[in-house]
Amino acid sequence: MATLLRTCQPFDPRGLSSARRFEKEKRKPNPSRVLHQRRSQRSSFRAAMAAEGLKKGIAEFYNESSGLWESIWGEHMHHGFYDTTTPASVSDHRSAQIRMVDEALRFAGVPEDSSKWPKRVVDVGCGIGGSSRYLAKKYGAQCQGITLSPVQAQRAQALAVAEGLADKVSFQVADALDQPFPDGHFDLVWSMESGEHMPDKNKFVSELTRVAAPGATIIIVTWCHRDLSPSEDSLKPDEITLLSKICNAYYLPEWCSPSDYVKIAESLSLKDIKTADWSDNVAPFWPAVIQSAFTWKGFMSLLRSGWKSIKGALVMPLMIEGYNKKLIKFTIITCRKPE
Amino acid sequence: MRLLTHNMLSSNVKGVVNGFPLRLEASTWVEKEVDFNADFLRSMFSKIDWPALFGAAQTVGYVALPESADASMLESEDFLKKFHHALLEIHVEEGALVCPETGRRFPINKGIPNMLLNEDEV
Repeated sequence: MATLLRTCQPFDPRGLSSARRFEKEKRKPNPSRVLHQRRSQRSSFRAAMAAEGLKKGIAEFYNESSGLWESIWGEHMHHGFYDTTTPASVSDHRSAQIRMVDEALRFAGVPEDSSKWPKRVVDVGCGIGGSSRYLAKKYGAQCQGITLSPVQAQRAQALAVAEGLADKVSFQVADALDQPFPDGHFDLVWSMESGEHMPDKNKFVSELTRVAAPGATIIIVTWCHRDLSPSEDSLKPDEITLLSKICNAYYLPEWCSPSDYVKIAESLSLKDIKTADWSDNVAPFWPAVIQSAFTWKGFMSLLRSGWKSIKGALVMPLMIEGYNKKLIKFTIITCRKPE
Repeated sequence: MRLLTHNMLSSNVKGVVNGFPLRLEASTWVEKEVDFNADFLRSMFSKIDWPALFGAAQTVGYVALPESADASMLESEDFLKKFHHALLEIHVEEGALVCPETGRRFPINKGIPNMLLNEDEV
């Protein structure tokens, strides 16, 4: 998509060295037509390498750090939703995280009338299944959760069994960009803070749309960068630098803006497209997470978890900086698949 | 992995025309009792691919399920109990799901299917 900005380098933990070796072996003198073909072959090869590296990186990051997160923050791996008008009760994060789910459902217009509740839910990027279990309990729905991390899927399943929900929720290791589900299966398609991991936003929203049943609700809550002004072609250099550091620590590909998501949804003929900036409602979150890292328990758990988790923790102040500079936007996008 | 889940998973390997149903191989499975809910079963019935459910049930040795079924059978408590058992109470712990066209195996470990494709399969 032309308007998606390259705010982060294509992700390759090996620094593209193997890609370069491959290219060197293949290089020969060629007429310009074939040269053009080779260039686009090289760039699609690089893209494929980057995508594979990103998926592995994401899986390893969450394999390593999920337990740490859960021990301090619980089963929901997403921001809490706080009132902007009253001082945040930062000791009550669990209810803020649950409120985030409820506010998202309300924003999307999921009916309160139980006869209209969703019956089949997919949780795309399900983490350790917090949303899946919550939605299964709230609606009595069947929920399928997918994650790249086998450790997360196992933990999600174990928690479901412990809560007596094993008959309602199931988890698979699968790729959100290539979901193993049939077309039109789910009446609620849920993506809570996973969209920022998707390297191809078009493909991501296309897959959400594909697996949505006619009339289904699609809910995406994700990290975006600010919309560009009409005179801008890209973010400013210091903004790009800031996001690059965050991308590196959290295994994120290129960011996009809320408008980019809206354009993609429109291009897929999705209806009732709504978006909102909830950055002010999540403002107490990162300071609270940083605080938790400095407790004895948090600090020792970090040390035990591994370098990826530590790197993730070190980058937390950059998230606050990004929000303060109005660069990072905590965004909700909801829509419906046409009947 | 319950047979309900098996009933909705398909192979996404590049070039595959019809990746459903995946053939089930089960080396270990357990049965776990689940509360019976007739309304739920009746609402699920139209979404279920019966031949796939029947085939999977056969694989795990549950032979009580009829080979074909129609909505009129939902009146029968006996049928509903069998449907309930096959759909919700059998959990495959170890095994694989096999693509019907390419033979590609998606492993099931500790009840979790791994449906990730390799780069060259996408």
